[in-house]
Amino acid sequence: MASTFAAVFEIVSFGAIIVLVVLGLGIIASMMGIFNFAQGEFVLLGAYVTYLAYAHGAPVWAGMVAAPFVVGALGFVLEALIIRRFYAAPIVAMLGTYALGLIIRESVRGLIGGFYLTVPEPIGGSIDLGSVHISAWRFTIIVITLLVMGACYLLLARTSFGLRVRATLENPALARASGISTPLIYGATFAFGAALAGLAGALIVPVFSLFADLGIRFLIQGFVAVMVGGVGSFIGPVAGAGLIGTLSAALPWVMSPVVADVLVFVLAIAFIKFRPQGLIAGKGV
Amino acid sequence: MGGASEAVARVGEEPDVVTGESAPAARAPAGQASAGWKVLPIVEGLVLLIALVLPWVLQDYLTVFATRVVILALFALSFDLVWGYAGIMSFGQALFFGAAGYGVALMARDLNVTSILLILPAGTLIGLTAALLLGGFLLLGRYPSSVIFVSLGTLTGSYAADRLARGWYYLGGQNGIPSIPPLTLGSYEFEEGPVYYYMVLGILVVVYLLCRFLVRSQFGLALAGLRENEQRIAFFGYKAQHLKAIIFAVGGTIAGLAGSLYAFHEGFVWPNMLGVVFSTQVVLYVLFGGSGTLIGAVIGTVIIEGVSFWLSDNYRDVWPIILGVLLLLVIMFRPLGLISFVLGERERVGSFGKGPKASKEAGNAAP
Repeated sequence: MASTFAAVFEIVSFGAIIVLVVLGLGIIASMMGIFNFAQGEFVLLGAYVTYLAYAHGAPVWAGMVAAPFVVGALGFVLEALIIRRFYAAPIVAMLGTYALGLIIRESVRGLIGGFYLTVPEPIGGSIDLGSVHISAWRFTIIVITLLVMGACYLLLARTSFGLRVRATLENPALARASGISTPLIYGATFAFGAALAGLAGALIVPVFSLFADLGIRFLIQGFVAVMVGGVGSFIGPVAGAGLIGTLSAALPWVMSPVVADVLVFVLAIAFIKFRPQGLIAGKGV
Repeated sequence: MGGASEAVARVGEEPDVVTGESAPAARAPAGQASAGWKVLPIVEGLVLLIALVLPWVLQDYLTVFATRVVILALFALSFDLVWGYAGIMSFGQALFFGAAGYGVALMARDLNVTSILLILPAGTLIGLTAALLLGGFLLLGRYPSSVIFVSLGTLTGSYAADRLARGWYYLGGQNGIPSIPPLTLGSYEFEEGPVYYYMVLGILVVVYLLCRFLVRSQFGLALAGLRENEQRIAFFGYKAQHLKAIIFAVGGTIAGLAGSLYAFHEGFVWPNMLGVVFSTQVVLYVLFGGSGTLIGAVIGTVIIEGVSFWLSDNYRDVWPIILGVLLLLVIMFRPLGLISFVLGERERVGSFGKGPKASKEAGNAAP
């Protein structure tokens, strides 16, 4: 019983991490139609900002608060300078953001070298539930993921900013005619997606430690999750991320990890092939 | 609309009459050859000439490096065919390259087969089979697949294969399969060096000529139509998905050939050969050199590999960053690659097949 509970906690906490990473990816893909290959590097940057704050003597949580703002600001600048040119051509956007990601990743690699740098958990220790001990920080990640998810949903569904974003997604020409500044909305959406990635990176760095290829391992998983969930809505990618995250954490418990690893991707691609619209079809929130 | 464009055409013609001979040259964009003077064969000839004399001027270890570049150029050609001519973004081209490499490495390790007469056909066949399976699955079906799905599907396939190779003990795990014996022909062993170089170069030239024939045939014309406007090609009655699957399989075949040559040249195979690293590498080569021109893929490979070899001693850390910046600049400002500095748009698009129109044009261009 105790070990089952530990396994479930493990699976849920990994699922939460994937959801957190995919949230930004999904918002950018759904709202802007761009599959951002640099998203993994935004995660990396968030982790790096947290590490920098820690290395300069600031408390870790301060770095975690700063990370989304720093990465979001960078995202806003990059959108205005570079990403904006790619909206008409999704494939070119992939290549362009790939190049961007390459630049960011290799710059960070140059800065930190080939090391694995550890950052301590701001909330250490474990929570004891009878005979089971679960990591307090991983539990915090689950809670924060739920909060962020709820906040994103409310932002997109209940605020006037969310309405503008959705209007821009639905019909850019009409949105412009109605007086919505679509370039500004695109910029803000991209910055928001980047900030979420930065937050994800900041939160997971105590778990995975900081290394240059941190982002890559999540990128492809994230893409697959977005496709499985369905591009075009907010809920779709989140649902896809939950499914993929849970599946890739759960399958290794019942079969060899190597087979499980590959099986998740094969299943996902097959699923997308036969249901291209994804788990949750349709646009909007 | 019609009237306006006629007027523009007439205005455009006027300077011809007035200024005589200098006008056509002035009107032609940079690098666009005037009638009868083509840039492409010259570039191709120059590249071939340089490639032919290289082993005489290079030291031995550089010839080994050049051989690797020629094999990678073959690999780049396979991607260029798929992306540059048919508009299929194959982000997992290394899957076929690496699968063939692993396949022939296993043949050499477990079956002691090293004869070139068996290895190259086997590698080619592995590439073809893998591409048929993956391409058939991703491209065919009742509904046409979106470009995003195909590109992410190939990427995922390549990534999954990489993970599989890393975790599977039989394939050597992280380390791959080391110490593959040299390629043989009868009792002769192909060692690294000029002989291997010329063998590979010969294969590249043959494949290049075949590709050149393919993309300039009527089939190539259909492919170009596919790239520009898939829906319209479908309305013309072409089976767009079948065309795509065919060219995808051809690309996989060439990648398989390159992969088997690479495995025996390096003497080992490792998981990166299958994965995202090589897949994106080949995208860089082709975009850099110029997609949609076969020679652009070759030139891109030579430049990127050459410069990274040259810089790797002193600027090892900075080079990937520079590469990223250059790539971004090329994508933003030179989407047709470096080759577009010398090659005009009209020649890049070219003419197809041997229709009566082509010969008539040639006749008209004479004065």
